[in-house]
Amino acid sequence: MSFKFTRALITGKLGAFIISIIDKNRGTIWAGKKAMNIDPDFLCGLKGIDPSRVLFVTGTNGKSTVTNMIVHILTSKGFSVISNTGGANLTSGIAAALVKGADISGKINADYCIFETDERYLHQIRDQVPCGNLLITNLEKDQVQRNGDPDFVYRKIAAVADEYKMRLFLNGDEPRSCSLADRAESVIYYSADRHGRAFIKDDTFVTLPCPKCRSRIVFDYYNNDGMGSFKCSGCGYTNNNGMENAGYTVRDADFDKGTFNINGTAFSMPYAEPYMLYNYAAATAVCRELAGISEEETSKALETFTIPEGRIESIEYAGKTVKYFRFKQENPDTLQNFLNSAAADKNEKVLIMGFGTVSDYDPHYINSFYAFDCDYSVLADANVSKIIFVTDTIAYDAANCFIYGGFDSSRIEVVPTSDVKEIFEIISKCECSNIYLTVKMYLFEQMKEYAGKARS
Amino acid sequence: MTDDRINIAWMYPDTLYLHGERGNIMALVRYTMELGLTPHVRRIDLGTEDFDPFDYDILFYGPGEISSFRSVIDDISGYKHSLAEYISSGRILIAVGTTVALFGEKIVRWAPENDKNDVIDGLCIINTEAYERELVYGNDLDIRAEYGGYSMELIGSQIQMADYGFTENDQFKRFGSVIYGRGNNGSDGIEGAVHVNSIFTNMLGPVLVNNPWLTVRIIRTAAEVKGLEISKRDPEFTLERKSMKLKKQFIESKMNS
Repeated sequence: MSFKFTRALITGKLGAFIISIIDKNRGTIWAGKKAMNIDPDFLCGLKGIDPSRVLFVTGTNGKSTVTNMIVHILTSKGFSVISNTGGANLTSGIAAALVKGADISGKINADYCIFETDERYLHQIRDQVPCGNLLITNLEKDQVQRNGDPDFVYRKIAAVADEYKMRLFLNGDEPRSCSLADRAESVIYYSADRHGRAFIKDDTFVTLPCPKCRSRIVFDYYNNDGMGSFKCSGCGYTNNNGMENAGYTVRDADFDKGTFNINGTAFSMPYAEPYMLYNYAAATAVCRELAGISEEETSKALETFTIPEGRIESIEYAGKTVKYFRFKQENPDTLQNFLNSAAADKNEKVLIMGFGTVSDYDPHYINSFYAFDCDYSVLADANVSKIIFVTDTIAYDAANCFIYGGFDSSRIEVVPTSDVKEIFEIISKCECSNIYLTVKMYLFEQMKEYAGKARS
Repeated sequence: MTDDRINIAWMYPDTLYLHGERGNIMALVRYTMELGLTPHVRRIDLGTEDFDPFDYDILFYGPGEISSFRSVIDDISGYKHSLAEYISSGRILIAVGTTVALFGEKIVRWAPENDKNDVIDGLCIINTEAYERELVYGNDLDIRAEYGGYSMELIGSQIQMADYGFTENDQFKRFGSVIYGRGNNGSDGIEGAVHVNSIFTNMLGPVLVNNPWLTVRIIRTAAEVKGLEISKRDPEFTLERKSMKLKKQFIESKMNS
């Protein structure tokens, strides 16, 4: 153990301890960043990491939720786990978790290491942290300012799979990630049977090029945007009608009752949303294969699972229930999930939509084009009395997407503001008490704070 | 029966599928109808056997991944000469985003230093070479465009996977001059290219939804080439103009910062 490594570890640990005293919610990456600054090879210096007990969770959507779910199940069975459940998924975030989890000699004593891993940094992280298991949730259009296109991310993950023969946990209903199977040491598939909220999209929508031959992928149905039963019109690449042979398939999903089963074991859904089915299946597969946890035990553990804050939440204000759903800018799937969830509620409702400029990286920019991949027809019979578009720069563009999508323009209102007080005034004036809201997370945080103050 | 149809071919929509470009098809359909004509859209996929460019008035190629380019070029090679004639005849081809590179002379893929670059031979329809960037460039794009004898301001987005440049001459003109953003390469102030009536542009948005004044010009040009009578009155663009104002403010705030 080098002096540099020891200094990095101790500085990181001390810093993490001090930060935890000041504010437990802060400093998720500081310790890792500091340790890596002092010793760039810090991660390679850690001892006692058994690759067969390490899992990286990567992909476009669902990384945080699945990571948290797996950690919840493992810890509920008494296993010790090192993880970055706070969502800091770059090298520094993983380093921070390992600084905290290592003993003073740099040894890792936990039963499992479960790390959410940014797609772009996967190779860099794998180069430094031995890992034998990789879960890929899905590979979709997302963060185009950073990734350009899904193929960019696909090639990055494929390179890791090629170099480090790993066991892959793959979503059998998603064509891109499923096609990485050829590169794996071994594969565990998870999937979902066609369910009651499955949907189809007509030919005015695009699908994706086959990852093998670039021809058109055709979906018989979608369980979730981008996932379902698919076949390539060129080379015939298919998942055989929804991955009939997957080891972990969600069957008999009933969203009204909030139940499903995997391998004959009954589960209750903590969150009765279609996109969550794949998270349940993935977590069940990992816990069984990695830790020998049975489906029955996973089912029981899931009864107490709550997803990380800021994804789905409700706030009460002026007699209205405001149901917030997070959607990621530049990502059509999470927007479609929001639309589908709102449409599944047959009660009268108002939608408040806050598309914003994309401000994750410089330069900030305007992007609403991903919204043209969404199907707004789901709102046709969904008892939506009005849609109000807020936020300052692209409110009109966002409204236009819905008009193009066939939503009645007379029930669309545009109020280009990001002022929280004004947004709540809009909410107060709504005749309907059932409000669905999707805005950027920082704006929702401000709204939560405002509503909290108003209540007190 | 009088033919009042504008025939639109949506080229390889599931292969050139990025960035919500189906919106452009929807805009062409909407404004064709608003101008009193009948739109007809057909999807053309890899391997569609009976495709003849001259059956159409507008061909639309959306942005796609460079990994798909060889397959698309192979497919286009089957009708490459008639495609060149189609463009020369004044009919309209619209290519958007990285797909513009398909129509140039070659696409050089990025490779780490000391590695060999993969080179894809293009269709040689426009005189440009494209070079894949190591990192994507994403930003707003604000241009002054000239099309169909009109000058207009267009605002959209740009997700640039490859840079390219071309020399303007009698046949190839710039599509626009950059007011804000990168354009073809970030250095010469040129955005896209126009060859006869065909447009090659980096602008996303979708460009024809957010800038309907361009869409209407394109449809008018297509109708004129086909000899169709068309309403002289332009549709209203109230919502889009309000949007343009907000976006312009946002861009100006970046220019001034």
